[in-house]
Amino acid sequence: MEQTSSGWPQAIGRIGTRNITDSFNTIVNIAPEIDEQHQIRQWLSPLEPQYRHQGVRTDRLNGVGQWVLETSDFRRWSDAEGDCVEPVLFCYGNPGVGKTYIR
Amino acid sequence: MVGGVYCDFHAQQEQSARNMLGAILKQLVIRGGIPEQIREAFQKAKNEFGGRSPPLPDMVDILKRTITSLPRVFICIDALDECPQQHRRDLLGSLREIVAVSPNIRVFLTARPNIDHEIVRYFIQVVRIPLSPTHADIKSYLKMRLDMDPDPDAMDAKLLTDIMRIIPEKISER
Repeated sequence: MEQTSSGWPQAIGRIGTRNITDSFNTIVNIAPEIDEQHQIRQWLSPLEPQYRHQGVRTDRLNGVGQWVLETSDFRRWSDAEGDCVEPVLFCYGNPGVGKTYIR
Repeated sequence: MVGGVYCDFHAQQEQSARNMLGAILKQLVIRGGIPEQIREAFQKAKNEFGGRSPPLPDMVDILKRTITSLPRVFICIDALDECPQQHRRDLLGSLREIVAVSPNIRVFLTARPNIDHEIVRYFIQVVRIPLSPTHADIKSYLKMRLDMDPDPDAMDAKLLTDIMRIIPEKISER
């Protein structure tokens, strides 16, 4: 399934034959198979982090924090394979240093 | 595939380990559609448990199996320090379990420095990177903000030069 920029499958926008607007003014598609997918997603978690992610992506300034991705530590974490894998990367810093906005 | 969550002081109650892992799982299955095992678990919960969401151990189990079926998975969790301690422990414990059986997983965590000791307790090998903005980062940001100035003529060249020189010097540690 293709992903839209908001993180939702495009199919949700396309397949709909019957849309209703719920009390929060979001459009709910009630085509049966989509409805089941929607229910399963809700069942898995009520959280929708893609909205926050969209905001971060929009506000992010190109190139800022790029240096992190070029450090040998970052590369070691992202590129390692086989036995020398260190699976966890922890980036730490005080409020406002830009932790959220690393690309 | 990438799945991630942003922890938030203002959403502590709903940001349980279970809900956060569930949100990550939703992102991991977005491309291939909902796998059969998740559909079955959902139907079972609907028929037998009144549709109750999967408890944490079941969620961890579903995640492990989903991750095994994918080539490579990145899990990102932002601002772990904003997550209440109990939820954080549950989350880190669950991630440790998942990492132990998933060689194709990479976990990316960010937080304030004060929870460093907790993270090290859960994972034997952690790559740690201290973050602070570089001179160049601060300058890019300042330039962007100055470009947004609705009244740029009010600023003379000297003030502009001073802003671009002094602020990066004062802020940047790198």
